[in-house]
Amino acid sequence: MIDSKEASAALADIDDIVQRVKQSQLYELASLAAVWWGVVVFAANLVTWLWPIYAVYAWVAADALGVGGLIALRVLNPPHRHHGAGLDVRLLLVFVLFFALGYLCTNVVGHFGPRQLGAFWPIYFMLFYTLAGLWFGYAFVAIGLGISALTLIGFFYIGEAFPLWMAFVNGGGLILGGLWMRRI
Amino acid sequence: MAELDDIIHQPLRLKIMAALNALPATAGLEFARLKKLTGATDGNLGAHIETLAKAGYVSVDKAFVGKKPQTTVTATAAGRGAFARHVATLQEIIAGKQV
Repeated sequence: MIDSKEASAALADIDDIVQRVKQSQLYELASLAAVWWGVVVFAANLVTWLWPIYAVYAWVAADALGVGGLIALRVLNPPHRHHGAGLDVRLLLVFVLFFALGYLCTNVVGHFGPRQLGAFWPIYFMLFYTLAGLWFGYAFVAIGLGISALTLIGFFYIGEAFPLWMAFVNGGGLILGGLWMRRI
Repeated sequence: MAELDDIIHQPLRLKIMAALNALPATAGLEFARLKKLTGATDGNLGAHIETLAKAGYVSVDKAFVGKKPQTTVTATAAGRGAFARHVATLQEIIAGKQV
């Protein structure tokens, strides 16, 4: 028989491994989402750079495809414990509030031009990524801060090729970040 | 008075069972993922999985994904039950119900 100290250590080992399994599963799903958004954002930035007059349509399509992909991911990978309809409604509200606040900042409070919009949305998106990372794992923080920093560098130092820079930094960054998450 | 399960109590086997038990009933973990989670070596992990499989606590499925062999380990109902009893016994020891 073991003593209570050894029993506590064994339970701590169990807690530790359970947390690691949960994080590993979260990273697996998050990596798929990141790669999907990365592909979509890469394409939208490329369209913005090559055919600026179609940029608005490209970004509306990108947002629809991005959110649609996340919904599909959620449907194909239902949570292991059913949280009820409340969680899905809350998730939907997160997207609505996210885009509503972004629109308010860029079109109502301020009147952002294409370059400002190209910097604002990735940094705004990455802010949530970084904040989520404070609870769910350092990979989100690293990806969020990394892409935000590179976006700012591009905003201040890259000229007309800024959308192309963002295709690689934001789109490519999310794809690489997502693939990296799978290896952690 | 409940007894600790000698098969599960070994530290690496405890980690394996804890990891598998954290998944839904029918879900398993790939060998490579289990290796990363537990920090074990290939040989050590393989040997302990075999011990758990012989006890009927896990099932091992080997398949090919493309040309790559893939081993998936899943906790059986018996394994989940044994793990739950083992954890309950550990909690009893901490609560001072067992000496």
